[in-house]
Amino acid sequence: MESVDLLLGGLEQAFTPMNLLWVVVGALLGTAVGVLPGLGSSMAVALLLPVTFTLDPTSAFIMFAGVYFGGLFGDSTMAILVNTPGGSTAIASTFEGHRMTLSGRAPQALATAAIGAFTGGIISVVIVVLFAPKLADLAINFGPPEYLALSVLAFVATATVVSTSFAKGLTSLAFGLGFAVIGIDGISGAQRFTFGVPQLFDGISIIVITVGVLALGEVFHVASRVHRTRPARLHELEGRPYLSKAEFREAAPAWVRGASIGAPFGVVPVGGAEIPSFLAYGSERALDRRRRDPQFGKGAIRGLAAPEAAGNATAGTAIGALLAMGLPTSATAAIMLAAFRQYGLQPGPLLFDRSADLVWTLLASLFIGLVVLLVLNLPFAPLWAKLVKIPRHYLYAGITVFCGLGVYATSASVVDLVLVLGIGFVGFLLRRFDFPLAPIMIGVVLGPLAETSLRNALLSSGGEYGVLVDSAISQTIYGALLLIVGFTLYRRLRAVAGRDV
Amino acid sequence: MSAPRSATPTTTETRVRYGAGTGRSGLVLALLTLALGVYLTVGIVTMTVPEGAEAPGPTFFPAIVAAACYVLAALLVVHYVRTPEEPEDAAGMEPVEGEDHATFTDWRTLGLTMLAFLLFALLLNPLGWILAAALMFWIIASAMGSGTPVKDVAVSLVLSCTVQVVFSAGLGLHLPAGILDGVL
Repeated sequence: MESVDLLLGGLEQAFTPMNLLWVVVGALLGTAVGVLPGLGSSMAVALLLPVTFTLDPTSAFIMFAGVYFGGLFGDSTMAILVNTPGGSTAIASTFEGHRMTLSGRAPQALATAAIGAFTGGIISVVIVVLFAPKLADLAINFGPPEYLALSVLAFVATATVVSTSFAKGLTSLAFGLGFAVIGIDGISGAQRFTFGVPQLFDGISIIVITVGVLALGEVFHVASRVHRTRPARLHELEGRPYLSKAEFREAAPAWVRGASIGAPFGVVPVGGAEIPSFLAYGSERALDRRRRDPQFGKGAIRGLAAPEAAGNATAGTAIGALLAMGLPTSATAAIMLAAFRQYGLQPGPLLFDRSADLVWTLLASLFIGLVVLLVLNLPFAPLWAKLVKIPRHYLYAGITVFCGLGVYATSASVVDLVLVLGIGFVGFLLRRFDFPLAPIMIGVVLGPLAETSLRNALLSSGGEYGVLVDSAISQTIYGALLLIVGFTLYRRLRAVAGRDV
Repeated sequence: MSAPRSATPTTTETRVRYGAGTGRSGLVLALLTLALGVYLTVGIVTMTVPEGAEAPGPTFFPAIVAAACYVLAALLVVHYVRTPEEPEDAAGMEPVEGEDHATFTDWRTLGLTMLAFLLFALLLNPLGWILAAALMFWIIASAMGSGTPVKDVAVSLVLSCTVQVVFSAGLGLHLPAGILDGVL
């Protein structure tokens, strides 16, 4: 049980007052952006990224972890109370969750969601603690062809699975890769696509891209509709979230089932927890139909418990994939990967050797973070819901100020501010026309890795393309990719066929 | 963005003007993708590759991306020609009833918001963080329909000063003082 010893060491590190403070700050912030529709943990992490460079890496990642999980705790609150998911991962929670509110069981729904998110998180973090070192041992054999395969898997899976159309997802990916190739080429030293502009020699900063696409783009999107829409009404909620013993027993198996559906998806790059939460919802519904007294449609507690647990389980194991293999599976994870690089750390097998302290402190703080989030969310969910009362004009003007702050603070460059404005407009266009955003971030972050892996593999093989699919590991990865794309295609065709009937 | 939205009148027949352009404004992204492809192509053609760079060189990967851009631009054109799209509002947002607009996007508010950010970028060094950020906040809040201009001045200054104190004095980020240099 070497992992357990290491984890205990990490707990000791994490229990310093300063680190606890960052956990709480991250959890508060994460819950807040989770509750607010339109804001997500990816935007919060994007805005925090520049600011955290003044912190030491451990504190920064502890805070990111709080934000990351907090977003998933918060997003179900509005889904339950107002029928408005705080993020795409809460859509599946909306169906039965809001029905519970309509039947006067909002407190129970909020409690089910919070405990579900907690259970899913804890189960997945335990899995990460036990298996991430083994995954890292496996990944240590990865050479350029395997890393290329991993990047291609991340690219194509994120671009195709969540997107409404393959063309849209792949276009987002192409934008990300296009941003990534600007700047001086690391292998040959050639200037690429800078057209002599000195500010572009180092490439477009990852901060400019994340803030532009994820934060400023959202501000512009809101601006384009703010006078023509109004937020849905909030149901006032009396009383605190609670569950009776019978309800707890009813929900418990669904939490566990949801978590076990969600956990494997952390290592499959399908752009976050949307798919597993829907799968968990679907499987609970299938089980429910066989019961003597089906609950679905009337506010089934299990229909809410399972997707909530699944979402957080995915988020937890995704951290494991990020740490052990350097594989980001969502936009937020991609930004965290970029953050590691800014500190000169490269997530992947070597991280467990070289920065074991940081890794285990981070994993330990995930446990602490989940407990903090449960405490913040279980009793206070109705209080968090009041955040929606912040007027949109102040909220988004404030976010714009933080966009400007983040970009200027890292580079002190006016050129970057103008650049982020342009990229923000592109981000607006992508939102307006319903293009997915995760592929851009994955493309920007993994683009350079994919390119160097591809070129190094071909250089060492003397231009022999066969080397790319030579090893069993890359064959397995490409096989998984084919399965994912095939399954997506099948689902989409079936959906089209169903529509015609 | 020429997607007319019917304002769902209650009594009269709902009339939606469908022209060839309706729901096809997404073609602008096909154009953008094409532009990216052209940008990359021009860059590849004009690139000075250092001598001795072994194949596959610095143009290898961008060439793949550029080729993908051309294919995707074509696919997007096909997509929008075959299936025009109705824009949708974000979850939880209901369209205000009884209004009819020529475009889905409110270009006035969007333009003002972008202008505010541009002003911030240009005025940050001369005016300093506190005034430039406050000005941006105030313009955006007003453009988004705050309706309390005097109160907003106070809110914006409090925010920009708080950021100055917390991030500049507290966390050590560099923010320009501008014309307030010496006062701070």
